[in-house]
Amino acid sequence: MKVIEIKQQVYQQNDRIASELRAEMKQRGTLLINLMSSPGAGKTTTLVRTLEALRGEMRIGIIEADIDSDVDALTVARAGAQAVQLHTGGMCHLDAFMTREGLKALNPAGLDLIFLENIGNLLCPAEVDTGAARNVMILSVPEGDDKPLKYPQIFRVVDLVLVNKIDALPFFDFDLTVFRQRVSALNPSAQILPYSARTGEGLGAWTDWIRAAAAQWKRA
Amino acid sequence: MHELGILFNVVRTVEDIARQNQVTRIAALVLQVGELSPVVPHYLQACYPAAVDGTLLEGAELKIEVTPGNALCEPCQKVFNLRASRGKCPRCGRSQYEILSGQEFLIKEILAC
Repeated sequence: MKVIEIKQQVYQQNDRIASELRAEMKQRGTLLINLMSSPGAGKTTTLVRTLEALRGEMRIGIIEADIDSDVDALTVARAGAQAVQLHTGGMCHLDAFMTREGLKALNPAGLDLIFLENIGNLLCPAEVDTGAARNVMILSVPEGDDKPLKYPQIFRVVDLVLVNKIDALPFFDFDLTVFRQRVSALNPSAQILPYSARTGEGLGAWTDWIRAAAAQWKRA
Repeated sequence: MHELGILFNVVRTVEDIARQNQVTRIAALVLQVGELSPVVPHYLQACYPAAVDGTLLEGAELKIEVTPGNALCEPCQKVFNLRASRGKCPRCGRSQYEILSGQEFLIKEILAC
């Protein structure tokens, strides 16, 4: 019997592909944003509002991932994005292999911005590098301000936390101050932007964040 | 499902390495799983036969070594187990810490026949 030592991270191959994708997107000047949240937090509605706000200003592509359906891709395509739907066939998160497939299908030439809409789940999407330049999550008010305590990992890896459905704040025990403290204990550099995709309140700060991130990605 | 997808990653890597080493039969695969990593050893074992079916690893035994999730308390410098102490330093009660171990998820080695 011969022992062959491997000592390799399980995700080493994935991480290598993720780095290659990032380098390729950098060269193209295309900002790839990985968007994560629970099911029902408002990823697709937020994307539709974002497309409306940036229409005529940025060329935007969207890679939708779902276990099985293309409802979301149809919705965002109607809103004017170039969209592809990935079926993950039961996988609960996206990895760099799937991002690569999505980018191939989308044809990123000439796009300023691509959203990778991850599968609705706060657990494993946080663990796997998709190759995106920025990681953004949406947490909605009805989910509760205790989520950083329950799902710490995702809050550690994101650049931005969007707090959606603030129009519902009067009906829920969601304390924004407490929430900010909990997020910053896990990730002091994460930005937090409260907004409502339904009323449009606070959306301007989010589109400004996108503009700044896209400009920085093209420049640096 | 989560563990199954992860095992596909493992199979891809192990098959590459086995080929590079001219290994044609594998008796065992040893994985190192940290207590704080997002995989559950029990589910890895459960998915394993399906993940290796028809691959070089078919018939190879899966061995899992679990490494402890330890942290260093920043205010008082005590080393403690995060799971056992539920994320709080048992000496000073605070939750400012640096993780020392337990996040790893490694393919440690294979035993070739």
